[in-house]
Amino acid sequence: MNFQRIFALARRVIQQVLRDHRTIGLLIFVPMLLLTIGALLFRADPTTFPLGVVNEDEGMSIPLVGSLNIGERIVTALQDSAFFEIVPVTAVDTETKLRDGTVQGVLRLPPDFSAQFLENRQAVLDLRLEGSNPTHSQVIQARVMEAATKALAGLASSGFGLGAQSDTPAELPVSINASYLFAGEEFDTMDFIAPVYIALLAMFFVFLLTCVSFLRERSQGTMERLLATPTTRLEIILGYILGLGLFALVQVSIILFFTIWALKIHYLGSLGLLFLVVALLAFVGVSLGMLASAFARNEFQVVQFIPLLIIPQIFLSGTFWAVDDMPSMLQPLAYLMPLTYANWALRDIMLKGFGLVDIWPNLLALFLYGVATVSVGALTMSREVA
Amino acid sequence: MNAVIETHQLHKHFGNIRAINGLDLQVGQGEIYGLLGPNGSGKTTLIRLITGLLHPTDGRIIVLGQPMPHKGVLAQIGYMTQASALYEDLTIRENVAFFAAMCGGVSRQRVNEVIALVDLTDRANSLVRTLSGGMKQRASLACALVHSPRLLLLDEPTVGVDPQLRATFWAYFRRLADEGTTLIISSHAMDEAERCDRLGFIRRGKLLAEGTAVSLRQQSNTPTIEAAFLHFATMEQTENPSQGEANA
Ligand SMILES: Nc1ncnc2c1ncn2[C@@H]1O[C@H](COP(=O)(O)OP(=O)(O)O)[C@@H](O)[C@H]1O
Ligand SMILES: [Mg+2]
Repeated sequence: MNFQRIFALARRVIQQVLRDHRTIGLLIFVPMLLLTIGALLFRADPTTFPLGVVNEDEGMSIPLVGSLNIGERIVTALQDSAFFEIVPVTAVDTETKLRDGTVQGVLRLPPDFSAQFLENRQAVLDLRLEGSNPTHSQVIQARVMEAATKALAGLASSGFGLGAQSDTPAELPVSINASYLFAGEEFDTMDFIAPVYIALLAMFFVFLLTCVSFLRERSQGTMERLLATPTTRLEIILGYILGLGLFALVQVSIILFFTIWALKIHYLGSLGLLFLVVALLAFVGVSLGMLASAFARNEFQVVQFIPLLIIPQIFLSGTFWAVDDMPSMLQPLAYLMPLTYANWALRDIMLKGFGLVDIWPNLLALFLYGVATVSVGALTMSREVA
Repeated sequence: MNAVIETHQLHKHFGNIRAINGLDLQVGQGEIYGLLGPNGSGKTTLIRLITGLLHPTDGRIIVLGQPMPHKGVLAQIGYMTQASALYEDLTIRENVAFFAAMCGGVSRQRVNEVIALVDLTDRANSLVRTLSGGMKQRASLACALVHSPRLLLLDEPTVGVDPQLRATFWAYFRRLADEGTTLIISSHAMDEAERCDRLGFIRRGKLLAEGTAVSLRQQSNTPTIEAAFLHFATMEQTENPSQGEANA
């Protein structure tokens, strides 16, 4: 072993890194960026959920004690809870309001709610949930339970003769009878995340592939040669989209097959529509890859796009944290990420069984994103050869 | 003379580097025009300007009657870049067929014919990555020729090609010229100059002198092309001493 050689090698490596200002910037800047995003996400104030309430409880008058409306008490407790934003809903528009996202759940208190409670000493809450986000469903149930328990506990202390409860403290007087508009109980977090895995893989695979292919095209001189033929930039771009997009579709078929049949992911909507979304996403991935490759001098710099572009996008596109749950200062960023629109579309298809009429705005957003990126990409292509 | 290429007071500057500095060039049909100059004299820049890949800072270029850049004319131009620009993970045949398709497409037979011409028939199905430097150079030439262009721009085509094959190349260039193709061949190897119909000495983005090899030698009263180049270079330097420094 020759230490002189080792030092000479180390010195050369240091010189090269120091000369690559972008790498230096990345070493310092990217960890801070990622930590900031992470901190903002993890420390986000708990979201308030819009909850609809249909309170039809007629109450009950108890001789000697007075009248009692348990439904009202529960609604008050829910209003006091910091977790809910109570939206008045009628029994008729429950489903529409759930579907269009005005409310995430609807609690229905029937006319005989108080009467039933006094008879059975047990409150069964009829909770209708939107259902596509299993985490939300669980949290809403837990919070409703909490508020109702609090309301009933207050009842006991205000002397309505419910002392019998204290004999069996382990048994809660509240239970929830949940039903779901979309998805349902059998859907778990994996079902919620599977659609975005598909999007993530489809997009970043073609992104990196395009980035490297384009880079190679320039470094081996074939781009110059191509541009010296009658081939236009648009033709080159479309050729890439067609060629690499095909791989994205094949890849996605395999992922889909695997998730649906092997991992037993639940899935409701149309397969054709799903492919349409993925095709659009591949289009966006290829265009972004071409654009990004103009800013990379070598393969190493392409790898640097992963922490710089890909990881923030995973954080901010509603993959693990639904966009609504994100801190409000980060939410505008979500709208800048193409993945956000794909996630929305895929979740709508796979978890809610939505069709083209419901999801077209997301598809349009993806398409426009792709067109815009292609246009900017075509401009940078002329710049790099000159 | 039926001009295939005309440039008028052509300038191309990169920052303060004047890669092409007021260059007037006229090349006629069926001519083999040798662009002779040392490294960095502006040969590649001039060729890229002719293809329209670069836009002039000032001046005009007319190729086959069209002001450049012009996409339509490119179908009639064959361009062989200085480094053999090929897809390393495709075979020779796939490369040639691809570039043919980019120029409008040719028959299978024509692809094979061009591959045979550069003597690569037995390696036609080898990946470019596995070829030697000279073979890559030949494959690259095949890609530039395949669509039978009217104008061939060859940027140092004979670098890394052995003498025997070089002779074959030149015989073929001559045949193309006889058939009416115009060729621009850049080189920094002065010994090839004799084979061109006309030579242009290029230095610091300017034409120092033009003419046949014989006339250039006579004008400068020197025995070799190399000596002739040096003669014109010194002459220009003494005429414009400040020019060189501004360019350096
Ligand atoms: N893209 C570019 N950016 C900056 N300078 C360039 C560029 N291309 C060429 N040059 C400069 O222009 C001059 C001529 O280069 P070039 O045409 O490649 O010479 P040659 O092909 O005769 O060796 C050189 O000084 C070179 O550094
Ligand atoms: Mg050159």
